[in-house]
Amino acid sequence: MHQRIAFRVALVAAGDRGDAEEAVQDGFVKAHRALGRFRSEAPFRPWLLRIVANEAKNRRRAAGRRAALVLQAAATSGDAAPSPEAAAVADERRAQLLDGLARLDERDRDVLVHRFLLELGEEETAAALGVRRGTVKSRTSRALSRLRELVGEEASA
Amino acid sequence: MTALERELVSLAATLDWPEEPDVVAPVSARIAAPLPQRRPRRRLALALALAVAALVATLAVPPARTAIFDWLGIGRARITIVDELPSLDPVPGLEILGDRVTLAQARSRAGFPYAPPPDGEPAPDEVRVAPGMRVAFLWRDGDRVRLLVTQFPGSAADDPALVKKLVGSGTSVEELEVDGDRAVWLEGGPHVVLFVGPDGSIREDNGWLAGNTLLVARDGVTVRVEGDVSRSDAVRLVRAMRG
Repeated sequence: MHQRIAFRVALVAAGDRGDAEEAVQDGFVKAHRALGRFRSEAPFRPWLLRIVANEAKNRRRAAGRRAALVLQAAATSGDAAPSPEAAAVADERRAQLLDGLARLDERDRDVLVHRFLLELGEEETAAALGVRRGTVKSRTSRALSRLRELVGEEASA
Repeated sequence: MTALERELVSLAATLDWPEEPDVVAPVSARIAAPLPQRRPRRRLALALALAVAALVATLAVPPARTAIFDWLGIGRARITIVDELPSLDPVPGLEILGDRVTLAQARSRAGFPYAPPPDGEPAPDEVRVAPGMRVAFLWRDGDRVRLLVTQFPGSAADDPALVKKLVGSGTSVEELEVDGDRAVWLEGGPHVVLFVGPDGSIREDNGWLAGNTLLVARDGVTVRVEGDVSRSDAVRLVRAMRG
């Protein structure tokens, strides 16, 4: 049940599908072996994501890859937009947002990707990134400002 | 939320994530490999229970048997055979089942369609509800709970909220049908229940050592009958629970 989110977190951290898959496997096995040290009153998922994310980061470093955004947005389907023009505008805007994210520095990008694209809460983001929850808060607001400088903001409310 | 945050949220919905690989089988196989030495401490036993709950995979069993356990998983319950049961208090507080309410209050608070108490039986001595998660009917014999009927919403195999039954090797597990619905009868040994919340947190719930247990997946709800009941009594009770 944690498989999907664990894989996505690993993919973001590793930047490579094969490494992400191995990181999830190793992370799950390690989590299993370390369960004796897990405080049962603590939420489980952040703890697991932390282990998987560390595995994935280690693999990226070992492979000598730089952290980069590996995500793509799907093209808007004709049904989802009022017109082909609107669909094209939406696609362009999404590409712009992804490009903006890719141009942020790693720490800013990480926090926005985890909070908004992986849809993790502050606690799980903090766990996956190995930082404190307060750091997630402050980095999110800083990263949003920087992203806004890069891509602007839609005028619509 | 600012406009930019909203844009990021809607961007998330359009992302083209690669399909996640199935890691359950390889992880199960690796976990099943012999561990360096296991110390029989309570902490470890509980850890093993949590591992089962967490990984959806089965624990410490050869992969070939995994399929059998998957097959046995009915409704929101999963049945897993473990070497060592967590040692837990046999009589934990009943508040873990939810708030005590009247039958009428249960209807408005349950948040999912559950079956009424069995027809032709005395009314339950207690009704407890955890909204959206659980409705429990209890029959008492003094301080002792002699019969507990619990209902959980959901029966999809991939449902994130699972009820875990850990079955010791002394327990027999028998698959049957109740009026065409899949059911499992557990008899003869202790087993333990752990709950995993929808957010992935493990509700330790302390579990309780249940008596014989019948699990039936019916109409999108899992019905569990446990206590001092025979198989035929349990089946009869579930049949009598029709709205």
